[in-house]
Amino acid sequence: MIVPFAHILILAAILFVMGLGCALARRNLIMILIGVEIMLNAAAVALVGGSAYWRQVDGQVFVVFLMAMTSAEVAISLAMVVYLRRRRGTLEADKFDGMHG
Amino acid sequence: MNQTLLFLIPLLPLCCAVVNMLFGMRLPRLVAETLAVCGVAAAFLLTVLFWGYADGAGTQATLGTWLVAGDTAITFALCFDALSAPMTLMVTGVATLIHFYAIGYMHDEEDYARFFALLNLFVFAMLAIVLADNLLVLFLGWEGVGLCSYGLIGFWYGESANARAGTKAFLVTRVGDVFLAAALLWLFALTGTLSIGAINAKAAAIPAEALLALTLLLLLGACGKSAQLPLMTWLADAMAGPTPVSALIHAATMVTAGVYLLCRLFPLVSLSAVGMAAIAAVGALTALYAATCALAQREIKRVLAYSTMSQVGYMFMAVGAGTVAGAMFHLLTHAFFKALLFMAAGCVIHLAGNENDLFRMGGLAKRGSRGVFWLFMAGAICLAGVPLTGGFFSKDGILLALFTHPDPLYRLFWGIGVLTALLTAIYTFRLLYLVFAGEPRGDAHPHELPQLMRWPLWPLAALGLAGGLLNLPPLLGGGEWLTHRLGTLAGRTLEVDHLTEMLLIALAVGLVLAGWALARWRYGRFQPLAEGRLGGFLLRGWNADAVVDLLVVRPFAAMARLCALGCDRALIDASLEALARQTSACGQRLRAMTNGRVSTYLSGFVWGFLLILGWLLLALVR
Repeated sequence: MIVPFAHILILAAILFVMGLGCALARRNLIMILIGVEIMLNAAAVALVGGSAYWRQVDGQVFVVFLMAMTSAEVAISLAMVVYLRRRRGTLEADKFDGMHG
Repeated sequence: MNQTLLFLIPLLPLCCAVVNMLFGMRLPRLVAETLAVCGVAAAFLLTVLFWGYADGAGTQATLGTWLVAGDTAITFALCFDALSAPMTLMVTGVATLIHFYAIGYMHDEEDYARFFALLNLFVFAMLAIVLADNLLVLFLGWEGVGLCSYGLIGFWYGESANARAGTKAFLVTRVGDVFLAAALLWLFALTGTLSIGAINAKAAAIPAEALLALTLLLLLGACGKSAQLPLMTWLADAMAGPTPVSALIHAATMVTAGVYLLCRLFPLVSLSAVGMAAIAAVGALTALYAATCALAQREIKRVLAYSTMSQVGYMFMAVGAGTVAGAMFHLLTHAFFKALLFMAAGCVIHLAGNENDLFRMGGLAKRGSRGVFWLFMAGAICLAGVPLTGGFFSKDGILLALFTHPDPLYRLFWGIGVLTALLTAIYTFRLLYLVFAGEPRGDAHPHELPQLMRWPLWPLAALGLAGGLLNLPPLLGGGEWLTHRLGTLAGRTLEVDHLTEMLLIALAVGLVLAGWALARWRYGRFQPLAEGRLGGFLLRGWNADAVVDLLVVRPFAAMARLCALGCDRALIDASLEALARQTSACGQRLRAMTNGRVSTYLSGFVWGFLLILGWLLLALVR
């Protein structure tokens, strides 16, 4: 392996934290979704790295699954974003507080 | 004949009571009334029929077992002996006449079934007391009497004063019942049996201190039912009931129960000299107290009520002086003339147009019927103890027993008894003068007297006047039939020389004459006087109700308030409410966290995740 495994993990960790920060800090629904995507991809990077390091194909299989799942999730969530935007006229996440106690 | 048939005596009134309770209002009025009378009359006839069973040691009969617990079995047993037989005869006989009278008295009462059912039940309960061979059965009757008195005194419960009088009778007698129940349990613990005969036989083995305490407990129990000090306040208020009920309570059932209890357990009670003195003291004080109260009463029935209290006090004195025969003698004669007096008073009130107040009666000798006047007169002279009447002999016997008692303390009781006899004569003649003498002072119209309210009085008058023959002293040629009849149960025999006896009789005659003269001087012509301080004090029964209120009711109410407001409200409720408030505030604070914003939940999610991660890392490092 040319790239050391530790570097891959550090990259994945940085990506995850950035995605998390994005999801936490932003108030726009689309930006939160993007943050979630980045976190998922960070996980995917870590899986691919692990698969290459241990020479096991399982990690790559997982990543394929992850891609399929992510595309489905994005499809649904973007549809909901469009729907919410039409219905409430805003994408501000804090405006959607219908579940408050 | 089978001796189990003796059970018919108490059970017949019970059956009639049950039938009247269940179907009384559906039966025609005449049937319900006949049933009530027949139940009691049949019991009376059966008592006469079975009289022979009481000879010698009497007859015990058992109907069945009530309770079984381990070795102890409580049976429905009755004891028909020389003590209970005359009592049964008196109870059923007088009650029969009262039932007849009641039909006349209640002839336009709507609720006749309830009345007659309770009346029959009352007789049954009293017969259970009289005939019981077992203290628990006696207690059953004891409580039954209390229940029926509650129902009958408050019979016209539409007026709250009547209902209150019923409740008062129930509660005050209940205080005595608690003591009786304690005595019963203690006796059971000491002797292992509740059979009266067995307890009396084993009484000598009971330690002296326990015996004294038991006697005092029994005395307090008897005080409740017999309206003696300090549990006497209910009797005067019991006048709220219909007149037949008053007659029944005062003559045949209820108030004599306490005296009878002490007579029944006399072998036990008599072993404690201090206890006997206490019984005599209670009797003496009550006799004097009630006689003074009767002097100032304005209602005709209240005068009679206080006179009952006073006469029952005499009976207690007799038991205290050790003469059961004397107590039973006075009990019997008193039952006759007091039933007569009450029923005659009912007639008088009827004739005066439902006027209760003595000061507004007057002149009834002219206006009313002569028959009622003579009947009332007969009862009154018995009560006053006019020579040769029943009341004279029985009262004289008690005073003689007190006078001849070896303990000098009894001379004091004798003195009180003599003073009470004088007061009795005064208030009785006062009653006569106020009711019958002079011109009518009220303006009410007399009511028609039904025949049924007249004729039951004649046999009672005859019995009251001739009651002395029951136990005529040998001095006057009598055979002391009752004393001989009671045999070993009669208590102390009186050894007295004829001179003392003559002197005491002369004293009694003098007292009656003095009382009559005083009453004639004061009330011969009606003079309306302003009610003095003393008069008011006596009218209110020495303010006994206020004293009870002050000593019992108010502290009790204060304690209840303390428990309700201090303990329950301030301590328990307040701490629970504080806890609930804190919990609710916690919930409010927690509620603020769920603001429905996704970002808040997400950050909570992350913080939680970090916490778990940190904990895992720490575990890893360790």
